[in-house]
Amino acid sequence: MIRTKLLSLGGIFLAGAVAAQTAGDPAEGRKLARQCSTCHGIDGYAKIPIAPHIGGEPANYIASQLTAFREGTRTHEMMSVVAKSLTDQQIADLAAWYSDHKATATLTGDAAGAPEVCVACHGENGIGLAEDVPNLAGETNIYIDTQLKAFRGGKRTHAVMSGIAAGLTDEEIRAAADWYASVKLEIEAAE
Amino acid sequence: MKKLMTSIAALAMTTGYVAAQSAELPPNIERLQSMQSTGVKDFTVVEQTGAYADGIKKTLERIKMPDGFKIELYAIVPDARHIAVGPQGVVTFVGTRKDKVWAVTDRNKDRVADEVKDFAPSLTFTIPNGICFSPDGFLYIAEQNRVLVFPAAEFFYESPDVAVGQVVPQGELIPTDEESFNHTARVCDIGPDGKLYISLGQPHNVTPPDKIQKYMDTGIGGIIRMNTDGTGREVIAQGVRNSVGQDFDPATGDLWFTDNQVDGMGDDIPPGEINHMTEVGLHYGHPWFGGGDTRTNEYKGEEVPVEVTMPASQTVAHAADLGMVFYTGKSFPEKYQGAIFSAQHGSWNRTTPTGARIMVTTVDAEGNATTEPFAEGWIDENGEYLGRPVDVANLRDGSLLVSDDLTGALYRISYEK
Repeated sequence: MIRTKLLSLGGIFLAGAVAAQTAGDPAEGRKLARQCSTCHGIDGYAKIPIAPHIGGEPANYIASQLTAFREGTRTHEMMSVVAKSLTDQQIADLAAWYSDHKATATLTGDAAGAPEVCVACHGENGIGLAEDVPNLAGETNIYIDTQLKAFRGGKRTHAVMSGIAAGLTDEEIRAAADWYASVKLEIEAAE
Repeated sequence: MKKLMTSIAALAMTTGYVAAQSAELPPNIERLQSMQSTGVKDFTVVEQTGAYADGIKKTLERIKMPDGFKIELYAIVPDARHIAVGPQGVVTFVGTRKDKVWAVTDRNKDRVADEVKDFAPSLTFTIPNGICFSPDGFLYIAEQNRVLVFPAAEFFYESPDVAVGQVVPQGELIPTDEESFNHTARVCDIGPDGKLYISLGQPHNVTPPDKIQKYMDTGIGGIIRMNTDGTGREVIAQGVRNSVGQDFDPATGDLWFTDNQVDGMGDDIPPGEINHMTEVGLHYGHPWFGGGDTRTNEYKGEEVPVEVTMPASQTVAHAADLGMVFYTGKSFPEKYQGAIFSAQHGSWNRTTPTGARIMVTTVDAEGNATTEPFAEGWIDENGEYLGRPVDVANLRDGSLLVSDDLTGALYRISYEK
């Protein structure tokens, strides 16, 4: 029941989000990615717990988040600083570079343990099933926990996520975070 | 036998004061406090040898230090952050910015750890970075928004079920709407007064105007202290952006702490800081100052409404000065006796990376502090990090432990004439 509703919501939102994209050049993005690599890795496999893995993430998702940081609709102490000066073209280039990698997720637990409220969009293994859906596979549980609480408390907003997070308890949030953190993520670098 | 008695006495004490707290306890804490088993039996044990360890050893060969010093791999400890060496010398605990605290044991005393496993696997931790011992063996763990105490942790750590008490219940260290992941690597220490000192980073690059008063009142962007039962909480330092390292000078009893400064003002400003707290209640300048006497763009030209204490020592911009410790051993040369050893984690978006090294700070008779590099070489010729030091701790034999959260390891620095 919940699942069906989510799918339809996700579908509507995604149709809107896919429009209006600047074409990105991954080679240019790779050069720019030097300033991302201390935290996110040059291939998008994060090197510090507070940073998400972004290698193999949908280009649309990366671009929308960088834009949100630049515009101030999503805030983060570090990301707000670095995104402030990025042009639309640079954002597209970075999105092209990081999305070019291939993310592969392997479950370490029984798929029945996947959080039901998340799987319609994020999959059991945490690989996003649509264009504006981030991968959650292998993220630090505290990162996912923090983001869900940000959606729940209104610090971060999203047409679908704000509503879902609003109904979750601290324990449900942590359980969902622990599930996706337990998935093994591998990122195959683009040539 | 004596050891066991001490543990039981400690446990009884803890149970006593925890019972006085009203907040609802998470289920496993409740079970542990009534000395029931949680049923959790499995430890995560970390492999200590093999290709990964060999790769780290290779990196350590390129680390440059003054003559006579050597650095060796002590333990593989995933995500290793702040270090608490047990006062009995049995076990070293290491915090992380994830959900684990690691217990590191060197059983055969060959100065290399034999066993690394997770501590208290029946409990759910959230950013258990801040970790410190009292001299009588109580281990304190300051998380994102809770503080726990583990009496006789050096005794109980062998079992998945440990003795535990709550110093600050979940949600009461900071207001829950101020919880964040960044700037939430807390550090703690037991002061000479027996109180528990905890740093509370503020979550912004520069604190916005509408948060200043709230942060000054709660001690966010500052350092707080409290009795070890959680009572008597006071804000003792304000205007701190994000301190991730502190220690008490054993000679004077004064608190010293590092502070990470504002980003986005260019590669070369503002400086990083090592601060000296000569009295309780000082203000260290944030958000009006971004580091040293550099004014932040956000508050430029505004009158500073507080009296500001400038750092005792300024460090290179964006190097990220984190953990620090006064050297209390006797085996290092005289110059280093009583000096501060501190870790620079390394910059995250500086055009040319800087930091990723161990610094040493000496203080002369007039109180002037001088900071210089002590161990470096963790940035390679391509500007890539081979390691990122986080914390420094004294071992009882006069050597130092250094943690590194990029490689996930502890190193040991020793000196031989």
